[in-house]
Amino acid sequence: MYYGCSCSTNQIILYKYVLFGAIFGLGLSGCIGDDIIFDEVDPEIRIMNPVDSIALGSSYQFFNVYFNNVGQPQTVPVAWSSSDPDVISINDDGLAAALQNGSAIISVTYSGGSVPVQASVEVGVGENTVIIPTFRYGTVISTSSYLLEGDFELEDIGGGAIELRLASNYKASTSLPGLYIYLSNNPSTSVGALEIGAVTVFSGAHSYTLDGVGINDYAYVLYYCKPFNVKVGDGEIIN
Amino acid sequence: MVKSLINQTAQYGVLFVFLLAGTSLFAGGPWTQPKGKGYFKLSEYWIVFDQHYTDTGIPDPNTTTGIFNTGIYGEYGIVDRWTVMANIPFFSRNYMNNIVSGTTGETLIPGEAINTFGDTDIGIKYGLNKPGSKWPMALSLTFGIPLGEPAGGTQDNLQTGDGEFNQIIAYDIGKSYKVGKKSSGYSTFNAGFNNRTNKFSDEIRIGLETGVGLIEQDLWLILRVADWQSLKNGSTGADITSTSIFANNTEFTSVTLEAAYYIKGGFGVSAAFGGAFRGEIVAAAPSYNVGIFYDLNR
Repeated sequence: MYYGCSCSTNQIILYKYVLFGAIFGLGLSGCIGDDIIFDEVDPEIRIMNPVDSIALGSSYQFFNVYFNNVGQPQTVPVAWSSSDPDVISINDDGLAAALQNGSAIISVTYSGGSVPVQASVEVGVGENTVIIPTFRYGTVISTSSYLLEGDFELEDIGGGAIELRLASNYKASTSLPGLYIYLSNNPSTSVGALEIGAVTVFSGAHSYTLDGVGINDYAYVLYYCKPFNVKVGDGEIIN
Repeated sequence: MVKSLINQTAQYGVLFVFLLAGTSLFAGGPWTQPKGKGYFKLSEYWIVFDQHYTDTGIPDPNTTTGIFNTGIYGEYGIVDRWTVMANIPFFSRNYMNNIVSGTTGETLIPGEAINTFGDTDIGIKYGLNKPGSKWPMALSLTFGIPLGEPAGGTQDNLQTGDGEFNQIIAYDIGKSYKVGKKSSGYSTFNAGFNNRTNKFSDEIRIGLETGVGLIEQDLWLILRVADWQSLKNGSTGADITSTSIFANNTEFTSVTLEAAYYIKGGFGVSAAFGGAFRGEIVAAAPSYNVGIFYDLNR
C-alpha cells in the first residue's frame, strides 16, 4: 500500500514557508531563564579581632561583622556584653576596659533576626594584651566529580596581609576550564566572595599572599569553575 | 535512493561538544553525488543542558546552557565520484541562564546570550570505487573553519565555536540492500581522524549507521552510533595560565535516531534526536535537529 503524500504545488509552497519560519523561529527561541541556587547559610556574627588577654588598666576595641543568611556582611545593631563587668567592662561600641585581674567572656549579640546570633570569646586580664594566634586551617574536598583535595593553612603574616598555603597533598583536576580559587562566607556561590585568582598549580604545595584581607574575614576556601559557574569543592576554615 | 538517504543524514553534529555546538560530522557514508546532483538542507539544531559529564564520566550540574544553530548543509557532485560538502551555521545562539538566589530571589549572575555566525565545515569526498559497487568506499577531507565566537559575553564564557582549525580525514564503507519485498536498507561504517590546532587534543572518530526506507522509500528511519575518542595529547587547564575557557579532551559515545520523509519529489522534512550515554567534558542532555531538505536525485 502506498501512503505517499499527494500535495498540490501551492500546498508545497505553503509548507515550505511554514517550515522555513518554524526553523528560524526555533533559532531565536533560546530564551534566558533562571537557575535557582540554594545559597542559604546560617547567619553568623563574628568577632574579627579576638584577644587572649588585655593588659590591666588598658582598653581594647573589639570589632564584629554580621553575616546574613546568604553569607554577606550586613550592618546591624548589636549588643556587647561582659560576663563579669567588674573584670572587663565593655560599652555599646565594643570598647573593652580591663579593670582587674581575672577573666570574663565577652559576647556580641544580634537579636534582630528570627533567631538571635551570638559570638563569644574568653578574655583574661594580664600584664600584656595578647592577640589570639592568627592561624587557621582546614581541608579542601571535592563537592563534584572533579578531583580536588588537600589541606591548607591560613596565617596572618602582618602588614595587613594573610597567606593561604596549600599543603603538599593538594591535588586538583586539570580538566576544567577556568578553575578559580576564592575565599568566601557562603560555600554555595562565588558571588560576594574574594576572588584570589585562576588556579595555576594543580598539585603540591603552593601559597597565595593576600593583601588587605583579615584572618577572620572568611569562612571557606572555595574552588569554582568560573566561566561555567560550576562549583568544584570547598574547605571550611577552622580556628 | 540510499545515496540520498545517506546524504541527508550527514550533517548532524550528533552531540553538543561542551560549549561547542554545531560541529558536524561528514560521516554520511561512502556514496558520492553524481555529477550535477546534490542535496541541500536548512535545519535547526539545539541542545539545552544543565549537567555535563566530567572527566570522570559522571554527570555534574552546571548553569543551564543552550545552543541553537540555524544552518544550511549542502552536498554537490562536481564530477562523478567527487562531492563537495559544506555545513554553514549562519546563525548560532549560545546562552546561559541567570543565577538566582533561592534565598533572596536576587539575580546573582545575570544570564547572557550571543548570536553569531558559527564554526563552518567545508569538505570534499572521493569515491574510491565506481558508483554501483557492491561495497562502496570513500575518503573525505573536511576542514573546520573557526568562524564562530570562541569567547563571547562579558565573562568570555559564551561560545559558538572553539577557535581552532580542524582537519578531518575519514574513510567510509557501506552497503545497501533490500529489506523485504518493498523496502531498502543500508549500513555504513566510518572512521576518521581529526587533527586539531591551538593545543586541542586530536581525536579518533568512529561511526556506525543503519537505515531503512519504508513507504516506497519516502520515509527513512535511521539509527546512528558515534564514538569520539580524544588522544589527550593537547593542553589542559594546567598548561593554560590565562583566563581562557579552554575545554579539551572531550569524548563521548552517542546514539541518534532520525526520521526523514519525502513530501513530494525531492522535497522533504526530517527530525532527529540523540545524546551521549557516555562521555567526558561533554553535555549530558539530548540534542535535537529538525529541517527541510531538497534532494536533486529525486
